[in-house]
Amino acid sequence: MRLIISTLAAIGLSAVFAGDVRADAAAGKAAFEAQKCTGCHYADGPAREKSIADQLAKKGPELWYAGSKFKKDWLNAWLQDPKPIRALAYNSLTKKNAGDHPKLSGGDAGNMTDFLMSKTSSEVKAGTIKPKKSLKGKSIFNKKMPCTGCHQSASKKGKVSGGLSGPTLVGASKRLNPDWIYAYLKNPTHFKPFKAMPTFAGLLKDKDLKNVSKHVSKLK
Amino acid sequence: MKKMIKITLLAAVFGLVGLMNTETAKAAGAAETFKFYCAQCHGLEGKGKGPNVTKDFPVTPRDFSNAKEMSKLSDDYIRGIVMDGGPSQSKSPLMPPWGKTISEADVNGLIKHLRGICKCKGKAG
Ligand code: HEC
Ligand code: HEC
Ligand code: HEC
Repeated sequence: MRLIISTLAAIGLSAVFAGDVRADAAAGKAAFEAQKCTGCHYADGPAREKSIADQLAKKGPELWYAGSKFKKDWLNAWLQDPKPIRALAYNSLTKKNAGDHPKLSGGDAGNMTDFLMSKTSSEVKAGTIKPKKSLKGKSIFNKKMPCTGCHQSASKKGKVSGGLSGPTLVGASKRLNPDWIYAYLKNPTHFKPFKAMPTFAGLLKDKDLKNVSKHVSKLK
Repeated sequence: MKKMIKITLLAAVFGLVGLMNTETAKAAGAAETFKFYCAQCHGLEGKGKGPNVTKDFPVTPRDFSNAKEMSKLSDDYIRGIVMDGGPSQSKSPLMPPWGKTISEADVNGLIKHLRGICKCKGKAG
């Protein structure tokens, strides 16, 4: 009897919590629209780009799978202090990133984080990639494949080097969900139908896609 | 009623224009393909000075406008290195393999585009 009551109480409590989270996400959705985030980002999947021209017409990255891609703490902090992720302006090869992304107050950032974290993709399976040191992954990233040609990363000593056309992978361990990294490498066009990054699935074995995902998910 | 007809007509016209738009967008031209995938390293003019070629970049991509050097490369060689990457032709792995990203027809378009930049023909074979 007691068990039943406490179970019922627990269910009641979790319903309240779930209700809370939903309220925040709903406030976040309203703020996302009110503050015109939708002018540069779309947050409803699936991917909409049908051509290179569609990709180039976008003013900011798609956010419809943000909840699978980002780590929550990073997202909340970045929205309040948005430091450049891409060295170049979005979709440009000539202009520098001006670092002028809209900045949010703590309250708005919290609500919008809840909203964006509710945008997940079933392509991303939780628990596939354990962020562990992978020498094989490191050698693929730094030597075998052209990853560093387009992405910056930091050496053990903190020296940053690499190409500028891709988002920086400095700090990827704090920013990206390891399971998303793998899902993206395995089926990139599900997330980005037209991307300036080559598809490596089918060229690298599945095991090596996992190895390189592990390596990226450890980058500081 | 007249208004209705007008609206349907308008819709039909816009629909048609919409259709035509997607059709042209789908068949991306070689210049657009080059700009989107290749210029990040090879530069918008193909001279090897894209934004990825920073001082850390260990190799210098060839200047595609150099007719003398480019005429030494056959179309098959270019097809091979674009589809399968630098190492397939004993070149740097920083030249990516594009075979899983762009179609063979796109690669043929790119070869023509490169020949347009160097204003040269490739050696046979
Ligand atoms: C004027 C266009 C514009 C507006 C408005 C805008 N963003 Fe952005 N957003 C961008 C661009 C461009 C980037 C890439 C920034 C970078 O790489 O440093 C970005 C990046 C992001 C990212 C990181 C995505 C990623 O893949 O790296 C998030 C999250 C984000 N924006 C959320 C928001 C929210 C929330 C709002 C509304 C308060 C907003 N943005 C308003 C253009 C915009
Ligand atoms: C030719 C340039 C290029 C190469 C080579 C390349 N990338 Fe990328 N990468 C990009 C670009 C551009 C994007 C952003 C695509 C977009 O958002 O449309 C990207 C996105 C990513 C992302 C997601 C980052 C984010 O914040 O959105 C990861 C992770 C990644 N690449 C890993 C890799 C790995 C691992 C390799 C090597 C196996 C690699 N990349 C090789 C250009 C490249
Ligand atoms: C990540 C940077 C990068 C990207 C993106 C890239 N390339 Fe390259 N490419 C290189 C480098 C570096 C070399 C030189 C390799 C060497 O000399 O060892 C090269 C070499 C070549 C060569 C051979 C030239 C020669 O002298 O043998 C051709 C042809 C070529 N690239 C075409 C393309 C095309 C077409 C694209 C777009 C589909 C492209 N590349 C995208 C980096 C890149």
